[in-house]
Amino acid sequence: MVLKLYGSPVASCTLRVAVVLYEKKIPFELYPIDLQKGEHKVPTYLEKQPFGQVPLLDDDGFVVFESRAICRYLEAKYPNQGPKLVPASSDLKATALFEQAASIETANFDSFAGKVAVEGYIKPQFFNLPKNQVVYDEAAKTLSAKLDAYEKILSRQKYLAGDELTLADLYHLPFGTNVAAAGCDLLTSKGPNVTRWWKDISSRESWTAVKKGIPAGAIEFD
Amino acid sequence: MVLKLYGNPQATCTKRVAVVLYEKKIPFELVVIDLSKGEHKAPAFLEKQPFGQVPYIEDDGFTLFESRAISRYLDAKYPNKGPKLTPDSDLKAKALFEQGVSIEQSNFDPFASKAIMEAIFKPMFGQTKNDAVYDEAIKTLSAKLDAYEKILAKQKYLGGDGVTLADLFHLPYGSLLATAGSDLMTSKGPNVTRWWKDISSRESWAAIAKGIPAGVNKFD
Repeated sequence: MVLKLYGSPVASCTLRVAVVLYEKKIPFELYPIDLQKGEHKVPTYLEKQPFGQVPLLDDDGFVVFESRAICRYLEAKYPNQGPKLVPASSDLKATALFEQAASIETANFDSFAGKVAVEGYIKPQFFNLPKNQVVYDEAAKTLSAKLDAYEKILSRQKYLAGDELTLADLYHLPFGTNVAAAGCDLLTSKGPNVTRWWKDISSRESWTAVKKGIPAGAIEFD
Repeated sequence: MVLKLYGNPQATCTKRVAVVLYEKKIPFELVVIDLSKGEHKAPAFLEKQPFGQVPYIEDDGFTLFESRAISRYLDAKYPNKGPKLTPDSDLKAKALFEQGVSIEQSNFDPFASKAIMEAIFKPMFGQTKNDAVYDEAIKTLSAKLDAYEKILAKQKYLGGDGVTLADLFHLPYGSLLATAGSDLMTSKGPNVTRWWKDISSRESWAAIAKGIPAGVNKFD
């Protein structure tokens, strides 16, 4: 049975999963959850995702939520389809450096980029709410300092986990793109290494295919 | 060569790693980084950890930072020492474990750490607690723990029926909530209470809750 991805066609965390589905050419169908109508807070949805968040994956009755967990599951389930997005588990050090990069994204990027994106783009664009300039400025300032560290790391290696692209890089795509949409050019102005890396990952076909919205209906790949 | 843990005996993320070292009885040396003196921002430190954060480890020349990455590395490197803290090869078990790990990092840590920053760390450094920020963080954390209560009604631990890193990762900030003035971990509901009492009474936590011993730590 075709994978069911419950989520919003334009929501950041739903897009995070969609990138991996496209990278690995895994057929799926998006089951839209209308966030503005609060469909993610109805009892039938909360039964499956008790935090009331999107996305959620239903793989023939096996339900997983948390976008990064879904991404890891897809990579583990289809290891030989498309690019390898995590190092071999037998390579302890490469795996550790991947986990370091994945943790960097969650701890040192996501919440600050997320705040910039929410205040500067998502609130005004999708919910007609005013931007909180204080929160925006504080988040942008912290993000800038964090990207100083990225600049150092990426001066020594091509991607965040090493010289190969991994899930850790791809996880940055949704909020990273929204940061630019919010009017913050950090990802292309911080330094040559961050710029090189950002341009590389954000020009991947998988991101181009979904960044304006995941197509409705069953998605198949040749 | 003994594994070196660079961090602070009282720091939450250093303790996160220490729990795993104690669970798996991996000998290590704590090299104390004095945060109040800004040692974590010194150039030599930033060479190893460019974000200027503790902890990091050095394992025979291999440097690794981010406490959850270090924890995963230790469990992978010593699979047969102490309990297995991540599932083996079962795809679904692994997925539910990763779901649990992500829940902790996205739905627990930001709010618990914010509350503790206001109520404990800021006063410790002579700054004033912002009551509004604290209250907001606790309110959100309380709503998140409503979801934990539902999950833990169906399974024993956050990642499934066995204890995993997903549970242990909660210990440092979870334990400080009571000190911060919030009894959420033992008042939210019977399942969260059961789970919290279970993981916070583990020997590994008891050994370091009051501080990680400096110097070399060995196990029988």
